[in-house]
This record gives sequence, C-alpha cells and structure tokens, in this order.
Amino acid sequence: MSVDSRSGRTGGYYHLLRAVIVRDLLIWIRYPVNAGMRLFINLLFFGMLLYGGTLLAGQAMADSLEGLIVGYFLWSLATGAYSGIVNDIQAEAGWGTLERHFVTPFGFGPVVLAKTVAIVFRTFLTSAVVLAAMLLATGTRLDLHLVTVVPVATLAIASTLGLGLAMGGLSVLYKRISSVVNLLGFAFVGLISAPVFDVPWLAALPLVQGSALLQLAMRSGTRLWEFDPAALAVLVATAVGYLALGYAVFGLATRRARRLGVLGDY
Amino acid sequence: MTSESTDLEGARGTDRSDAVGTDAGLESGTVDDPATREREEPALAVEGLSKTFGSGDKAVAAVEDVSFSVAPGEVIGLLGPNGAGKTTTIKSILGLLLPDEGAVRIHGIDVYDRPRAAYDHVDAMLEGARNDYWRLTVRENLRYFAAIRGRNPNALADRHEELLERLDLADRADTPVRELSRGMKQKVSLASVLAGDVSVAFLDEPTLGLDVESSLTLRRELVRLADERGLTLVVSSHDMDVIEAVCDRVVIMNEGRVVVDDTVENLLAAFETQGYRLTVRGADESTLAALRERFDVTDVERLEDRTRFAVAADSETFYRLTDALEDHGLELVAVDTVQPDLEDAFVELTGGDGTGAGSDDRDPERGTDDIGGGTR
Repeated sequence: MSVDSRSGRTGGYYHLLRAVIVRDLLIWIRYPVNAGMRLFINLLFFGMLLYGGTLLAGQAMADSLEGLIVGYFLWSLATGAYSGIVNDIQAEAGWGTLERHFVTPFGFGPVVLAKTVAIVFRTFLTSAVVLAAMLLATGTRLDLHLVTVVPVATLAIASTLGLGLAMGGLSVLYKRISSVVNLLGFAFVGLISAPVFDVPWLAALPLVQGSALLQLAMRSGTRLWEFDPAALAVLVATAVGYLALGYAVFGLATRRARRLGVLGDY
Repeated sequence: MTSESTDLEGARGTDRSDAVGTDAGLESGTVDDPATREREEPALAVEGLSKTFGSGDKAVAAVEDVSFSVAPGEVIGLLGPNGAGKTTTIKSILGLLLPDEGAVRIHGIDVYDRPRAAYDHVDAMLEGARNDYWRLTVRENLRYFAAIRGRNPNALADRHEELLERLDLADRADTPVRELSRGMKQKVSLASVLAGDVSVAFLDEPTLGLDVESSLTLRRELVRLADERGLTLVVSSHDMDVIEAVCDRVVIMNEGRVVVDDTVENLLAAFETQGYRLTVRGADESTLAALRERFDVTDVERLEDRTRFAVAADSETFYRLTDALEDHGLELVAVDTVQPDLEDAFVELTGGDGTGAGSDDRDPERGTDDIGGGTR
C-alpha cells in the first residue's frame, strides 16, 4: 500500500481492546481441554480443601466457610490473572507473535495492558463459575453486590497483574523461569490470609488489603462507599503501585531483551 | 552503496531504482509538512547501522555500518550467506533489536525516536508460518492483526476479502489456521501482515515450505500487490528464483556488511561474462597450457579424443579464443553458452555456496551460521 492510498488510522483503543478480548476468549475456548481442566481442578482443589478442613477442624471449618469461599474466589482470580499474563507473554514469544505486538502504532506497552484487561475479563468469568459452584455445593450465601465486589476484586488483583507483568518481562529476557513463577503463585495463599488487622503494615503487600476489604464486602455486606477512605486509598495505592512497578520492570526487561536481540526468541 | 560495496557499473537499471540513492532522503528531512515528507522521503532509509553482540574477546560484530535505502513501491531482496547479518539488520530496522549505532527512517520517521508513528506504516513476517494464531480462523487472524495496527477491521473487510481471493484463501477463510497445509499457513502469515494496510512490509522467507505451484502463485501475487498498491517490500529468501522474479534490486550482505546494492538487472549483467563451454579435438597438455596463459580456462575434462573446458570471456575475447584455437590447429566440436543466474552472482560475490541467503543471525549465544527459523 502506498502512503497515499492507505486508508490510514480507522480504528482506535476501542478496536484494540475489543480485538484483544475476543482473541483471548477465542483461544481460551479453542483449547477446550485446557480450559475445562483448569476449571475442574480449581473446583477439585476447593473440594479437597473443604473436605480436609472439615475432617481436621470440624465445626470450626463450618464457621469459617464463608471466609474460605471468599479467599478461594480471590485466590482463583489472582492466580488466573497472574499466570494468565505470564503464560500469554511466554506463549506469544513461542508462537512468534510477540514481536508483531511490538511493531504496532499503539506501542508495546498499551497492547500488553490491553492483554491484561482481556485476561482479567476472562478470569472474572471463570472465577465467577467457580464461585457459583462453591456457593451451590456448600449452600452458603454471600453478599454479591457487584458495584462493590467487582471494583474491590479488580483492585486487589491489579497488584498480582503487576507481578505477572514483571515475571512476563523477565521470562522474555531469561526464558525458562517457570519455577520462580509458580513459587510466587503459591505465595498468594499467604497474602490472601495475612492478618492485616493485627499487623497493619502487611497492607502494603500485594493482595492483602484487597483480600481484607473483599471479605468485608462479601461476608458483611459492606458497600464500596461505606469503606474507610484510608483503607480504600491503601487498596488503590497498592493496586496502582504494583501495577506501575510491574509495568516498569516489563519495560526494562523488554528493552534489555531488545539490546541482547532475544525479544522474540523462546 | 557503501565504500566497500562492489561497484557494478555504478548505475541502477530501472526507473524506480534510479530514484534511490543510498543516502537519498537521509539529509532531506527538512520538509515541514508530514504528508509531503512521507511522500518525498524513501520508504526506508538505513544509515550506518552497527550492532555487536557480547563484549571483549567474545564480541561478535553482527552488522557493521550498513546503509541502504528503498524507494516507495520498490521491492528489494536482502541476501547473504548464513551469518551475514540479515536478520539482525531487519530486526534493527524494526526496533526489535537495539543497534549500537545508526539511524533508520520509515517514510522519513525515525524508528527509534518516534516508533509508534513509524510502526503505523510497517509490519513484518519474521518467522514464516509461525507468525499468527493457529487456533484462530484465517479471517479472525486478519481482523485481529488489522485491529492491533490501529485499523477498524470492519472498515477493511472488503480489502481483506480481496486479499483472501488473491492468495487463494477465500474458500478457507473460516477455517482455523492449524488445519491448513504448511503452504497455506505461509499465505495466511503474509495475508495477516498485509491486513493492516501497511505501506512497507518485511518478508522473511515468504515461500519457505511452499510447493512449486504455491510458490509461483505467491510470487505472482507479490509482484501484483507491489505494483498495484505501491507496496514497498523487503524480501529475504533462500530462493533465488523468488528474488530474481520479485525484486527490483538486491542488497547482498556478507560478514555484517553490505557488499552489493544494485538492481537485479545490473547484477546479472555484471556477471554475464559470457561463460562458454567448448569441446575441441586435438588438444594436448602443451596446447592447453598455452591457452591457459592467455585465457581464463577452467573445468578441463578429457573425453576420449576430445577435450572440454570452460572459459570466462566476453564477445571480443571469445573471437580471440577461436582464433587461438585455429592457430593451434584445434578442431572446435561444440560451443555452449553458460548463462549465469542470480545464484551464480551471489556465490561469486560472497564466496559461499549459495545456500545461505535466508534468515540468519550472528548471535554468539547460538553460535554462528544459525538459520533464524531454527532458533526455537
């Protein structure tokens, strides 16, 4: 296409975001065994946790069932988003499509951020199925005020997306780092159950503040506007901070990869 | 052409190439109007590109002071043996690899200073068939890659249909790419690159894995697309027939440098030294020795009562040779003309075996002479 005969920019961020979300969902659906197994294992893991906990703790487990379900829901969201972005970047490098996302007029960063939005969207869908199954299986009722739950959960997992971006960047640079990636994923269990009301500084860690507020929202029915503004500020600050930090690490790692000539290699 | 380039008559053979000076446009970025500048600048201008991998004793200079430019609508072939630095050059041009020195402009826009503006014009097929999503259908791939290039896929739907028709993919538009043959996958890769309405495209081994018929189709369509749409193409390929058929010009690299930058026409003409293969009767060793002193005699074969040998000679030399044969009392039995092709020219220029014209990299971590497609 000559410069004169090109149609020029006819699309924008809306088209980018829509295309990235549709692509993500289509590829997820078209690996049906992977998608199905992930859902099944998620539910199986919860079942084992519930069964084992009931055997060991009896009534105590039943009393804390709501907390377990909320925590598991958040863990499902966090690991889905975190591993989603790392896996996506690694897969794109393997498929030879990562470099094509670099050579776009939007820039690599915005395209990768669009991917994170797509992954969060998909993760919410799958985790909602897991949550519904947990509630049905245990007969538990939780307050699912979407205007509260969705923003709080999104801000909570934004920090893990930051970690995912950082790990994704490092995987572009160093390739095989799956052991570190998986270990960090396990750490989410500790962060979700961290005693932030007893040790306030823990709120500065990823997921911790989001987990605490999500418990209040889903178990006690606290609405978004009813939260302590300071607590919300901490949630927003950790979300934005870790996301920005992860984005910066991703940018530095990919720049280093470009310097070394290993951006698209895997 | 760099100072080290082979000077092949110093002239460019086609009208389009006449407009292309290696340095053309690099100094002319003073036009204020961006649209005017985009029209007047070369589609691609590369100046002094250098990249060294590693440091100290392990340092490997992948490309050194590479300069060339490509006019809008021109199709150039980037050739060189394995390890010549072609892939490093292409990736540096695209900003996928950061060079140590040098400047790259696409339609006058500096790729390193204003990458987003430059990327509005360019896309690349870097890894042959593995360059798109195999789980998506052909059409879904085209729509996706158009969208991430800032285009509304719906607005380009007609162009996508035309592209699919051109590349014989229309019947398989709604088939997942993974269900297609290798040749068709290659075509989908090409289609997805062109789906974003770019003006400059880099094609690395576009015919790799294609059967003869598919290769011919793709070659024909590349020529047509380039001509009709004024598409600027940079093609790297092992297939010299593709280069010869598709390209206006070739840039040949060797050991990280540009050794030739000229039209295909001029390149072939320069190497058309009228090679001849002569069969004579009555030649003994002393006669052959006498001929060797005056002419470039090679490939001597004894055939019972005859002798066959090759001579590199232009028309004038050939007549002197026939006179010499007569003087020595030799009977000329047969004469065959040896017509050099681009591969012969390539081998002559690079001193190689002609097998390394495609992807390469001089990455010290992979060892040298690694074909790009085999890096994963």
